[in-house]
Amino acid sequence: MLCVPAAQSNTCPDWEKKVVEYFKEKLKPNDAHTWVPSLNDVPLHYLKPNSLVKFRCMVQDMFDPEFFMGVYETNDPTLDSKVKCGKYKDITEGGQVDFNSRNTVTSERQTFYCVPIPGESQWNSYAGTSQARVVPSTSYVPNRHKRSYEEDDEMDTQPQQMKGSSAESHGNIEPKRQETEAPSHDSSPSHCTSSLDLNFPLPGEKGPACLVKVYEDWDGFKLNDMLEVFGILSVDPALSVIADEREASSLLHPTEGMETVEEQRVHSPPASLVPRLHMLYAQPLVHNNPLLPSSVLENNGDYLSSVLGELASIRAELLTYLTHVLLGDSLAAEYLILHLISNVYSRRDVLPLGKFTLNLSGCPHSSPYTEHLYKVIQQLVPSSYRLCMSLHNMNNQRMVPRKDYTANRLVSGTLQLANNTSLFLDETQLEQGQLDATGVRNITALGNLITWQKVDYDFNYHQMEFSCNINVLITSEGRSLLPSDCQVHLRPTLNPPNLEEYLSAVQVAQVPSQLNKYRIYLSVARALNYTISDEITKAVEEDFVEMRKDDPQSMSAEDLHRLLVVARLLSLSNGQNTLSRDGWMKAKQLEALRMSRTQQQKCVNGNEP
Amino acid sequence: SVHLMELGAEAAHAGLQVRDELSEKCQKLFLEFLEEFQDKTGDALYLSDAQELIRPERNTLTVSFSNIEHYNQQLATTIQEEYYRVYPCLCRAVRHFARDHGNIPPSKEFYVAFSDFPSRQKIRELSAARIGTLLRISGQVVRTHPVHPELVSGTFLCLDCQSVIKDVEQQFKYTQPTICKNPVCANRRRFMLDTNKSRFVDFQKVRIQETQAELPRGCIPRSMEVILRAEAVETAQAGDRCDFTGTLIVVPDVSAMAFAGTEAICRCETSSRGLKALGVRELSYRLAFLANHVGPTNPRFGGKELRQEDQTAESVKNQMTVQEWEKVFEMSQDKNLYHNLCTSLFPTIHGNDEIKRGILLMLFGGVAKTTMEGTSLRGDINVCIVGDPSTSKSQFLKHVEDFAPRAVYTSGKASSAAGLTAAVVKDEESHEFVIEAGALMLADNGVCCIDEFDKMDLKDQVAIHEAMEQQTISITKAGVKATLNARTSILAAANPIDGRYNRAKSLKQNVNMSAPIMSRFDLFFILVDECNEVTDYAIARRIVDLHARNIESVERVYSTEEIQRYILFARQFQPKITSEAQEFVVDQYKRLRQRDGGGTTKSAWRITVRQLESMLRLSEAMARLYCSDEVHPKHVKEAFRLLNKSIIRVDSPDINFDQEQDDNSGNETEGQNGAEVNGHPVEAMDTDEVEKQEKPAAAKPALRMSFAEYKKISNLLVLHMQKMEQLDEESSLKKSELINWYLKEMESEIDSEAELVAKKNLIEKVLYRLIHYDHIIIELTKTGLKKISEDGDEPVMEEDPFLVVNPNYILED
Repeated sequence: MLCVPAAQSNTCPDWEKKVVEYFKEKLKPNDAHTWVPSLNDVPLHYLKPNSLVKFRCMVQDMFDPEFFMGVYETNDPTLDSKVKCGKYKDITEGGQVDFNSRNTVTSERQTFYCVPIPGESQWNSYAGTSQARVVPSTSYVPNRHKRSYEEDDEMDTQPQQMKGSSAESHGNIEPKRQETEAPSHDSSPSHCTSSLDLNFPLPGEKGPACLVKVYEDWDGFKLNDMLEVFGILSVDPALSVIADEREASSLLHPTEGMETVEEQRVHSPPASLVPRLHMLYAQPLVHNNPLLPSSVLENNGDYLSSVLGELASIRAELLTYLTHVLLGDSLAAEYLILHLISNVYSRRDVLPLGKFTLNLSGCPHSSPYTEHLYKVIQQLVPSSYRLCMSLHNMNNQRMVPRKDYTANRLVSGTLQLANNTSLFLDETQLEQGQLDATGVRNITALGNLITWQKVDYDFNYHQMEFSCNINVLITSEGRSLLPSDCQVHLRPTLNPPNLEEYLSAVQVAQVPSQLNKYRIYLSVARALNYTISDEITKAVEEDFVEMRKDDPQSMSAEDLHRLLVVARLLSLSNGQNTLSRDGWMKAKQLEALRMSRTQQQKCVNGNEP
Repeated sequence: SVHLMELGAEAAHAGLQVRDELSEKCQKLFLEFLEEFQDKTGDALYLSDAQELIRPERNTLTVSFSNIEHYNQQLATTIQEEYYRVYPCLCRAVRHFARDHGNIPPSKEFYVAFSDFPSRQKIRELSAARIGTLLRISGQVVRTHPVHPELVSGTFLCLDCQSVIKDVEQQFKYTQPTICKNPVCANRRRFMLDTNKSRFVDFQKVRIQETQAELPRGCIPRSMEVILRAEAVETAQAGDRCDFTGTLIVVPDVSAMAFAGTEAICRCETSSRGLKALGVRELSYRLAFLANHVGPTNPRFGGKELRQEDQTAESVKNQMTVQEWEKVFEMSQDKNLYHNLCTSLFPTIHGNDEIKRGILLMLFGGVAKTTMEGTSLRGDINVCIVGDPSTSKSQFLKHVEDFAPRAVYTSGKASSAAGLTAAVVKDEESHEFVIEAGALMLADNGVCCIDEFDKMDLKDQVAIHEAMEQQTISITKAGVKATLNARTSILAAANPIDGRYNRAKSLKQNVNMSAPIMSRFDLFFILVDECNEVTDYAIARRIVDLHARNIESVERVYSTEEIQRYILFARQFQPKITSEAQEFVVDQYKRLRQRDGGGTTKSAWRITVRQLESMLRLSEAMARLYCSDEVHPKHVKEAFRLLNKSIIRVDSPDINFDQEQDDNSGNETEGQNGAEVNGHPVEAMDTDEVEKQEKPAAAKPALRMSFAEYKKISNLLVLHMQKMEQLDEESSLKKSELINWYLKEMESEIDSEAELVAKKNLIEKVLYRLIHYDHIIIELTKTGLKKISEDGDEPVMEEDPFLVVNPNYILED
């Protein structure tokens, strides 16, 4: 275990820089997670306060900057050097602070509220990669005992949310988040009394939330960024006591504290529940697939070529697997692969490029088919969420994050998701009925998410656009009421007498090592670079003009747009990072097959784009 | 309590009791300024304001900071740099000044507020280094707290000896006397505040949030607590965007860090329990802003406000930096401004130049007017794009929403002005869910982009109608009916009824919109998925380009911010129409109406006063685009062209050649009918009437062709003629030569003599129309132009005239 070096005696002016450099060097991403314990996996009370830990998380909220005494002096007569460093700490140490000292330095830091990456699949727990988590160091056992008493005390005062947040099992339990939060805007009185809400974007999520204190370059971080934060864990119970005292005193002198009680709850929650993490270094995560090196593209030529060699065979196996899952429909399986590797790789003006929202229509709505389908996808992607579009959910779920000005925080919603999360919209769960205001807003938000890859967060006085990169898959009976880039109507060739048994059998047949191959395949294919040569560009242009000559109705500008996306994804899925004539023809064939199928389904119902 | 942290060593060590020379000097100079500073007429500027302070509810004198700068730059600098330190003495100066000029109770406190502080800081840029200096920040008020009385000066009663201790100064914190003033009484703790004899000031906390213009993309806006006192309280409401002048202070109390002397006083009543007593404290604190003055925020350049009332071109200019102004000026001189703005505004949309122009003019807007009778005429320009699915309609809307964030983007499908709910209905046959109606928010002072306008419920279209004409909207929310201002331009997109635009039908038959609503759109554009090799190539190139290149660069002549700035500036112009332009308008209007009467149309479009109004609005917008105070004929010309284009596009149903040549009658009456409209809800589009007239014509064997076919032949002919003209500039084709050439071209399609006759007949009709209605081809008779102009309406038919392409005609792709 590593502790913060006692740097305060050092007079070298750039020692801070050197310390950070030292850590960065030590934390070269690839071997760091083998020895630094992770907040994601190790229960908080097993971790030693003031030790180095890591946290794989998403930036859920950004608080206002905070000023602190970067350097301060104490009055402790027993010490020689009374000048202390305030960095990477929350509270002072070593006697009374000498506020008169000329040595006091005011510094600024930024606080981010971070939560575990929403919807991380269970397979994706970095299992086996973190050895540190298994063996708790003996050195802090006594300390732990002492601390646990304090925690017990706190648990008595806030029993509800402790159990709620950590003891809740994964699954379709009625989301807790909705119980503690009234949907109405001005429910502040109830807010005060209700238990602390950890503000996870998805209902039923668990895991620690963390206040990450950032000391440098905080402008480089954006909301919803995925990060692996390495930092000093601060869980000093004194923090909570101070907060309590301040709460008490602010009641006596309303003019003294600038924060309201609601704000304090959010900004200074008990450290046992929301630990502080003082960031030394953060690695932005391009993906959160533990089976891959964190930087797939850069400096990983060797890795890439080893994977590419196997790509074709894995793709074939995956296609077979998905064909089974899709009841023998290999065309739908093809499109599902394309969807799973899609990615908004660029934006031109308002246009997101590379997205490929798939509407899988023709799903039986009376059976738990979609549930099983989701489980299959969950098994394949690092993070996902199934949103049942029941009327109740549409009318009640908070999807769009909203700024709560009373508590001064961003109240999360189900659409606050990290990049490349798979959002599974299950329209088979919808029934006829009335959408209320929330429902209409939610439908609109989903539509905007699909079309523009943006979510308009509600800041009450105005809305604010946040770009996102979410893979949306819609399962429905008929054509979905939501827009999509591509609709495939499921055409089963198998009709197993017991659907559930069949699907379980298909799933069980996939051994873990096989699944891991698929997982690596999908992440790698998505991250590949892609180009179109001038020659092919020209050929495509000519082809387009030619196709329109024959039948202008058959090929619109939008069709070309989609065809190019399909061609891109098809090439990438085969490990080719440039478009070939052959690839173009195959994409056209695939689209022709699909279109011929939907043509029969076509019906003007007002859902057309 | 709140305190200044770093006042510099001097003040810190002096403590509060020691006299501060700097402050005293400031007080003296400031008082002199108040006494001496004169307005243009030579009167003491602040005298009358100071006399106003006699009134019991008044206590704050607002001083323009630029006046101080004029008067004494050094004083201004000192106030700016040492603001927190000298502020009490500035207030004392006000008190002296007020007392000298009026009968004022001695105990009354006064405050000074500074307006017109020149520079402005971004909330994100505020750092501890700025503590104590005078600053101006702007932000959106997101939260206000109730107003509290704050004790500023306390009168205490000693509970031991009953002596009264007056004027105990309070600095944001309840502060008792250190010791009883009675020399024989040693009481240090037991005092009682006499509220009746103490002085209070109003105190209010508000929270502001970074404005969108200042916010980096992808970040959560920062917020800042602002403390308002005295007359500044309750001047800011939640939702307002305000400028605050004042200084940064530190919270919670770190006064002790700066003023060791006061530490004992402040701390004495802090409870001694808990960790604080042991010296453990939190290392962090926050900044707050202590404001003396609140004003509404002026438009920030780079901000996205396109409309601002109470602004003039001059005031807008004054708020620009030198570089910004230079850019605006440079733009106003740009010969290609119109074109450059269009391309910069929609860099990723290919072609559709007319739509781009229309939307651009919509952003500039016309001038709102009030007639002599007191009816107000909107200046807002409404545009509707009707188009085949998968044309770039939505992209236009999204662009506008992105460009002007007061804009709202909404879909008609899920929107309803009347209710806030929608129904989900399942189609039993297709198993598809359909949504009906929903909520619509209309932005006041913005642009409302409504996608899928045709999907909107008819009764909701009525509400939009209201918004478009009366510029208000009635909404029933939670049982309360409210009429809201909705001074908004509408940019709508609609799908044709049959999924695709049917050229054989009129516009009205093509879209699901009520006639009154249709008439409220100034411009209608039709986006048809046209099949044409040239455009197809261009489209293909653009789309492939989009996918083939990974660079995110979008080529623009002007950046979005530059255009926003320019539009805001240009919108301040209220161009007046010149008499010359007026004549031109009348001319063009007549022409439009004549053409309307020409009978080529079975379209639903009748040219009425509405089009005249539209033409004026568009002309004004055009004049604004060039920052002109006057509407000139050239502005009208473009407005007319655009309107004409918009209408021509609307009028492209099948061409019925039989009808057009003998349909010259019966139009005068209709014409008058149109003129009488006068803004009354007499429908501009009396389709039925037109259709009735067509019936007799339809009885004949109809000789008709689709507009596309007509266009194709037209292009073919023009291309050939231009080619011939290029070969030999002197020679012209005779009509017969052209016809023969065409028939030769068509040889392969002609099998029999009857077909040849039919084709010949057809091409003659096409030529007739090209010459007499579209004026694309000009007929040169042997006598030259003279004969035509003499005769007016019906040009004499020469046997075989020469034909030339109208030199102004540009072949479209």
